[in-house]
Amino acid sequence: MKAKDRVKSQDKHILNLAHIVGGARSILYLKEDLVAYDCDGFTIHKHLPKAVVFPKNTQEVAEIVKYCSKNELPFLARGAGTGLSGGAIPLNGEIIISMVRMKKLISVDLENRRAVVEPGFVNLKLTNSISDKGYYYAPDPSSQYCCTIGGNVAENAGGAHCLKYGVTTNHILGLEVVMPNGEIVEIGKDGIPDAPGYDLLGLITGSEGTLGIVTKITVRVLKNPEGKQTVLAYFDRVEDGSQAVSDIISAGIVPAALEMMDKTAIEGVEAAAFPVGHPKDIEAVLLIEVDGIAAGIQEQIDQILEVCRKRNVREVRAAGSEEERARWWANRKTGFGAMGAISPDYLVQDGVIPRSRLPEVLSRINQISSESGLRIANIFHAGDGNLHPLVLFDARIPGESEKALEAGSQCLKVCADVGGTITGEHGVGIEKREEMRFVFTEEEIAAQTDVREVFNPHNLLNAGKLFPSPGRCAEVKKEMKAQAIS
Amino acid sequence: MSLRELDLKQEPPCTSGLGNYLWSDPPDEKKWADCVHCGMCLESCPTYEQTGQEQHSPRGRVHLIKSVAEGKLQVNEQFMDPVFQCLDCRACTTACPADVDVGGLIEEARGQIRQAMPLTGVKGAISKFFLHDLFPHQNRLNTLGSLLRFYQKSGMQKAVRKTKLINVMPQHLADMEAIMPEVKEPVKKKYKDVKVIKAIGETKQEVAMLTGCVMDVMFSDINESTINVLTRNGSDVVIPQNQTCCGALHVHAGDRDMGRKLAKQNMEAFKDFDKVIVNAAGCGCMMKEYAELFKEDPEMHAKAEEFSEKVEDISKFLHETGYEKPKAEMNTRITYHDACHLAHGQGIRQQPRDILLDIPGVDMVHMPNSDRCCGSAGIYNITNPEMANAVLESKMENVPDDVEMISMGNPGCMLQMAMGVQKYGRNQKIVHTVQLLDWAYQKEDGMREGEE
Repeated sequence: MKAKDRVKSQDKHILNLAHIVGGARSILYLKEDLVAYDCDGFTIHKHLPKAVVFPKNTQEVAEIVKYCSKNELPFLARGAGTGLSGGAIPLNGEIIISMVRMKKLISVDLENRRAVVEPGFVNLKLTNSISDKGYYYAPDPSSQYCCTIGGNVAENAGGAHCLKYGVTTNHILGLEVVMPNGEIVEIGKDGIPDAPGYDLLGLITGSEGTLGIVTKITVRVLKNPEGKQTVLAYFDRVEDGSQAVSDIISAGIVPAALEMMDKTAIEGVEAAAFPVGHPKDIEAVLLIEVDGIAAGIQEQIDQILEVCRKRNVREVRAAGSEEERARWWANRKTGFGAMGAISPDYLVQDGVIPRSRLPEVLSRINQISSESGLRIANIFHAGDGNLHPLVLFDARIPGESEKALEAGSQCLKVCADVGGTITGEHGVGIEKREEMRFVFTEEEIAAQTDVREVFNPHNLLNAGKLFPSPGRCAEVKKEMKAQAIS
Repeated sequence: MSLRELDLKQEPPCTSGLGNYLWSDPPDEKKWADCVHCGMCLESCPTYEQTGQEQHSPRGRVHLIKSVAEGKLQVNEQFMDPVFQCLDCRACTTACPADVDVGGLIEEARGQIRQAMPLTGVKGAISKFFLHDLFPHQNRLNTLGSLLRFYQKSGMQKAVRKTKLINVMPQHLADMEAIMPEVKEPVKKKYKDVKVIKAIGETKQEVAMLTGCVMDVMFSDINESTINVLTRNGSDVVIPQNQTCCGALHVHAGDRDMGRKLAKQNMEAFKDFDKVIVNAAGCGCMMKEYAELFKEDPEMHAKAEEFSEKVEDISKFLHETGYEKPKAEMNTRITYHDACHLAHGQGIRQQPRDILLDIPGVDMVHMPNSDRCCGSAGIYNITNPEMANAVLESKMENVPDDVEMISMGNPGCMLQMAMGVQKYGRNQKIVHTVQLLDWAYQKEDGMREGEE
C-alpha cells in the first residue's frame, strides 16, 4: 500500500468512515487539509470539520449517514462551497459529506425536456453539454461556472435570468434523497411534473441541507430562445434608473434579466478582471436582456430604449455583437468576486424589496454605510426586486467583521420594513438566522422547526442553520417541555 | 525526518518573517488580500478537477497559505502537499474576478517550504542534479544532448527498446524515452562565432534571442525555425553567449535564490538589446516576472521590471511587427493547444492562431478547453507523474480525432503532448507554431527554385 493510501489516524470513526468510502484518497482528517473546509463563500464564521468524506454513489452516502446517525456524529453535505450564507460551514465540527465526486450527467432526454444529474454536477456544464442541440438549463446563479446543481437545490438558487424563468425550484422535476436516518427515497418519480400529494419537491428544494441529502436530480431543460438582445443604460440618478425599471415592467415587457449596479459596485467591477469601461461618475447602470421569438425582439428593444430616454438616461445602447454582450455579462456575473479588487473582504446581503421602493431603500443603505463607516456597494436584480448590498470591510481590523455583520443586518431590516424580505436566493444559512425574526413570529419559526423535526428528528444534519438559535425562541420552551416529560 | 528534527537542524536566518513563515521573501500579503473566497477559480483548476478536494484548489491553497501567515498552520509536510501539487498553470488567474495572483503566492510559499524542509535523499539528489548541476550549465546540457544523440544514432536506442531494458525504467521515464525527439546540434553552439545573423533583405530591427535549455537541446530545429522566421521578416538576430537558463524550473521548485542568480545573469546578458525574443512560453513568462524575485531589493526590482518590458513571445512579436504571409499551400488539418504560460501567463491567445490561419491550406479545428493544462508544467511530469498523467488523459480526450498536427508554443507541452499521442494511440504530429510558418516559407522557396 502506498503511503498516501494509508489512513494514519487512531480515531475509530475516521477509520470506519474511511472504510465506507474506500480508503485514504476519499477522506480528509488532518488539520492542514481540513482548513480548506472551515468556511464556504461566507467567510466570517469559520469552524473546522471533524473530517471530509468523498462518496462515489448514493449507497456510500446512505452508509455514511447511517453511521453518523448511529454514532450521533453531526454531519452535513457540501457542494462546491460557493454558498454565500454559510450553509456548508461545519459549525458543530461536522463530518462534511462532499458531493463533488458524484458529478456525472446521468441522462439527457430532450424529447421530454429533462436531464438527470448527480448533485456534484456543475451548473454551467449542463448548459454546455446540451447547447449544441439548442437547449439549456435556465437557473443561472452568478457562480454557475463552479457551483453544483446539488447546492443549487439546497439553496433554491436564483440568478440573473430568474426574472422570466423562475428560480431552481421551478426547474426541479424529481429528486433522490438520503434521509437523515440513511433511508433512500425518491420524490417526483420519473420526473413527471406536478405529482399529486404534498409538494415535497418544493419543501426539499431550498431547505438548505437540513432535511436530507440530495443524491440525484431530475431537472427541466429549455429550448434556447430564438433571439436575444441586451441593452446597457447609464443613469445620473438612481431614481431615474429605478423608475425606468418600473416603466419597463409596466409596459408589459418581461425581460429575461434586468440588472442594476450602483456607483460603488461599478468601481469594483471596473477595477477587476473584466472591465467594460463603464463611466466612473454615473450613479446607476442597467443591464436589460430580452429573449424569445426573434421577430418580437427589436420591437421590445425599441420600447426599452424609449423608456430609458424618457427617464433622462445619459447613454443607452443595445449590444453591437455577441462578443460585446458576453463582455457585459462577464462583468456583471463576476461582480461579487470583483469586490476583492477594492476591498479585502466583503459581506453580501440578499434582501428583497418592492421595486418601487428602491430609491428610498438605497438612500437608507447609504445612511447605514456612513454611520458604520463601511462602504456598501449595491448589485441588484432590479426586475424582481432582489437587492444585494455588498458590505466592504477588512477582517484584519479588530471589530470590523462585527461592524459589517451589523450593517448587513440593518440593510435587511430596511428591506423587511418596506414590505420585503431577508433573502431572495442566497439562503439564510448562519448569516441571517437572527434576521428571520424580522419576518417571522416565534410561532411561525416554531412551526417550521416542527417540519424539520419530521425529517431530521435528532437535528444531526446541518444543525444550527436556517432558524435562530434556541435561547430566545419557542424551540427552547419546547425542549424544556420535552425534558420535563421525560 | 520529523519536524522537530528539522527545527533543530534549520535555524531560521531571520526574524522578520510573517506568522509561521520564518524566512525572507515570504508570500505577499497583498496578493491574498484580494481573495474573497468566492470559488470562481475551482473549475479552472486541473488538480481540483482530478481530486475534488479543496486543499488542491486555488482558493483552498490561498486559504492555506494565508493560514500559515496567521500562525494557524505550520510549514510542514502536510502543507507542502497541496502547495507542490499545484501545476502552476495559472488558469485560476484567468478565472479570478479579482485578479488574485495565485501562481505568485504558490511560488513564494514553495520558497519557504524548500528552506524549511530542504529535499533530502533520492529526491534531493535528483532535484539538485537537474536544477543546479544541469540546467544552468549550457555545456553540460550540450554534453547531455550529445549523449542522447549518440544514444539515438548508435543503435543503442533500438537495442534498449528491443531488449526490453526499457522496462527497468519507471513508467513515466519510459513513456518519455519513447517520444524523445531526434536530438540535433543546439543553435547556441552552432552560431557561437556568428555575432549577428543578418536579416534577409532590409534590416528593420535587431533582436536578441533566448535559446533556452530544453528547447536548444531537444528542439534545436525550433530554434532554427525561429531564426529563419525572424530573419525572413527583417530582424537581425543576436544570440548572446552569456545567456543562461531562465530559472523557471528553479522558481517552480522553490529554489528562489538560484532563480535570482539566473535572472541577474540573463538581465546582464541581454542588457544591450531592446527586444528579447522567446519561443518557449514558460521561459517568456518567467522572464516577464523577474521583478517578483526582487521584492526585497528595490534597485533590482526596478531593473527587472524594465527588463521584463523587453521580453516578448515570438508569436506576439511577429503579430505586432508584421510578417510576410506564406504563399505555399500546406494542406493540413491542425488544432491549437494554448500553453498555460502563454494564454494564462502572458494573455497571448489570438496571435499564434492568427499566424497559423495566415498559412494557406491550414484548416484549423477547434480544441475544446484548449487552454487546459496538459500536465507538463515544467518538470511536474517527472516529480508528480500520477497527477500529470491524469491531467494529460483529460487533455487528450479533447484533441479532435481528425487532425494531423497539434500546434503550440512551449517545449514542455510538446514533450508532454507527444507522450499523450504515443500513449493513447493517436497519430498527431506535435509542432511549434513558428515551425509550421517556417515550413510554409521553405515550401514556397522550394517551389520558386523548382520554377527557376
